[in-house]
Amino acid sequence: MIGSVKSFITSSQLANIAQNTTQSVAAETTLKSIGRPGFILIDKDIDSDTKQYAAAKEFLYQATCLAVYMALIVPVFKKGGFKIAKEKIFKNTEGFEHFKNVKEYMYYRKLADNPSVNNRMRTLEKERLTDKTKIRDKYNETLQKELEKKDPDKFAYVKGAVELSNIIGSVLGLAILAPQVSHAFIHPALRLLGLEHKKDKKTQLAKIDTKA
Amino acid sequence: MLKKFLRNIITYVNKTGKKIYLSVLYGLGKAMAIADLIKRTCKSLGENNKPTYVVMAIAAVKGICRPAFTMMDKTENPETKKYTALREGLTEAIAIPAYWGCGELAGKLAKKAFNNDKALANRAEKNLMFIGVCTAALFVIPALCSIAIKPIMHKIGLKAPDGHKDKNIPPAPAQANTTAILKQSVSFNNSIYPKMSTFTSRPQTGLRVGGL
Repeated sequence: MIGSVKSFITSSQLANIAQNTTQSVAAETTLKSIGRPGFILIDKDIDSDTKQYAAAKEFLYQATCLAVYMALIVPVFKKGGFKIAKEKIFKNTEGFEHFKNVKEYMYYRKLADNPSVNNRMRTLEKERLTDKTKIRDKYNETLQKELEKKDPDKFAYVKGAVELSNIIGSVLGLAILAPQVSHAFIHPALRLLGLEHKKDKKTQLAKIDTKA
Repeated sequence: MLKKFLRNIITYVNKTGKKIYLSVLYGLGKAMAIADLIKRTCKSLGENNKPTYVVMAIAAVKGICRPAFTMMDKTENPETKKYTALREGLTEAIAIPAYWGCGELAGKLAKKAFNNDKALANRAEKNLMFIGVCTAALFVIPALCSIAIKPIMHKIGLKAPDGHKDKNIPPAPAQANTTAILKQSVSFNNSIYPKMSTFTSRPQTGLRVGGL
């Protein structure tokens, strides 16, 4: 038990998620979308209709946030941020000159994070399924030499630029864009699920007013 | 070096008296300082991207934008707007230190637990920080908000407008006066509580942090 907890806490995969803005925000939003409606549903002080309504609303909100984030913010800001940093801010220096796009850098980073040099070399010799060329051919001589070292350069500036643009994207997406989108989407969705009726409030108020 | 060069030019322009160029030079200096700041931020994020950074940034922007959006809503009455905006602002104001505290606390715990192995301690610190942030989002912030917000609002002197009062309490007097009409129009589904779907405003029960 203690061993499994220790291995979970020191897991390199979890460390990768924790260090990656996109993955950590997505993981947190997924947890919220399951956890918060769950807590609402197990609350014994609320009647069942209210519970269903509140849980559905919370789930829809978090799900919309996640969808907006993954569909729009991640690709736009990740790619755009890398491009701006490469061409305008760093002007093809500090490691940006070795990578054409963010995907290429991420793949290199994944390889460089592998602590075993032998495993890295084996991966470099593998053939790609798409065009049958070796993975080694994707990298220039500098990068190949780096990967042969025990502690290869991970190009902190490139990683930082990607993370900075992801943070900006996350802030804009989750704090400004997603609430607006979900505001437009949630009420029709709740009506579709039969948890909210459009004219209920108006009808009830009208009836009460005439009698009063 | 470029900065020193720019400073020399500014001093020279100051001496010659052609102060029309000064604003251009100061602007250039400012742009260079911003680029410098971005580069430094990129380096520090590339070396160590804590999971607390992004969630704190999102909470900070939410704390400014959500109350602002609420106050700009022209359809709501001013008292309700003030109450809702303050509540949203307070929620995010509680969220920022909660994220930071939980993350840092979990990170320190990891450092203490793995103090004999630096590499493991480093990985565990990031992982536990991430777990701390998730815990804050799921448990700590909703708990803190439900404890702190009501007394703070009470101290400020803002009371919940009618639409924000607890929906669990059935509106007994209204029911008593309009029994005949309500029997025809509203179905209570064999429960003493009215359906949530009869209200279009959000429920004030359960976990509401981050929700609409």
